[in-house]
Amino acid sequence: MNHQPFEDWLLNDKLIDPKQKLELDAHLRVCSYCSALAETGMALRSVKMISPAAGFTARFETHLATRKLIERRRRLWGTVLFTFGGLAMLMWIATPYMASFFASPATWITSLIEWGVYLITTLQAILQAGSVVLRVMPSFLPPFALMVLLSAFAGVGLLWSVSIWRFAQRDVPRGV
Amino acid sequence: MNDELAWVLQAQRGDDEAFTKLVEEHQTHVYNLCYRMLGEPEAAEDAAQETFLRAYQNLHRYDQSRSFATWLLSIGAHYCIDRLRRRKLSVFSVDQENDDGTSFEIADSASPDPEAESVKREERDRLHILLKDLDETDRAAVIMRYWYDYSEIEIAESLKLTVSAVKSRLHRARRALAGMWQEDEHRSPRARRERRVHESPAF
Repeated sequence: MNHQPFEDWLLNDKLIDPKQKLELDAHLRVCSYCSALAETGMALRSVKMISPAAGFTARFETHLATRKLIERRRRLWGTVLFTFGGLAMLMWIATPYMASFFASPATWITSLIEWGVYLITTLQAILQAGSVVLRVMPSFLPPFALMVLLSAFAGVGLLWSVSIWRFAQRDVPRGV
Repeated sequence: MNDELAWVLQAQRGDDEAFTKLVEEHQTHVYNLCYRMLGEPEAAEDAAQETFLRAYQNLHRYDQSRSFATWLLSIGAHYCIDRLRRRKLSVFSVDQENDDGTSFEIADSASPDPEAESVKREERDRLHILLKDLDETDRAAVIMRYWYDYSEIEIAESLKLTVSAVKSRLHRARRALAGMWQEDEHRSPRARRERRVHESPAF
């Protein structure tokens, strides 16, 4: 059965003139689908609001107070764990240097210079190794493998950015 | 500046009492949406409470150029959609839900004909049951359209959809409802036939 234009009138809540109304009534008498469409439309237009049980606001205030308490406790525990964890890590790192802490200033300066030189030479070694690998790699790897490698790096980079973005958005509920 | 905006601004500055006033003002709207979406009073109460808690926690993100009610309903609708999706994955059946009367329908004091009102009520209950079988987002669109009289643009903004997507979702939902309504008629035709009125809706 052809439901047009009746289905369109019913779905779009179109304003119809008396002649069209007569046509629609005649169609509704023989078409159970359009009749159901009209009935659901009427039922939808006569919908009512449902109210919550009395005391909703008071219950909300209790929920809010509980949520705030949980949040405060979580923050407190977070701060305590972060502080003590940080202190423990600092102690663990600093323990080998504790002896030199009590030594003369000359020993301090020597240790500092030694550490600086070590850092610079390590960085230089890493850079040199990297440049050697970059120079040698094209002769070992075919061009398509390089493309795959670059794509993989780009993919990992994208995944990393998306993960950071998702992590930053984790506390924002949908619809806010 | 209207009262509501003043309460929002006070609440944004940390005034909990102002936020309580907003809860009082919008509790029926939010609860009704959650009830129609989830189909049971306890879940609706939980969802409505959660909606207000989320609104409270994200009040600094509220854009004052939007209606506060629309913003709240948007949070509530998304929360209910997520909850329904999670529920679909769980083993428990939605059919086990029951109404225990912890909520109530606002009575129509202007109704002159109790029989007609009872038929209407029965149809509304039937519709409420059929709504549960719609897709979550379609259901949210139908509720916003018919319970809140939202325009397609407002629904699109609330549900983060395009206007054409809202239109097609509404049509799809209306067709699905009509199909289910028809099936329901076939299951118990006699009882329905007696009160079936073959006339077009009042446009």
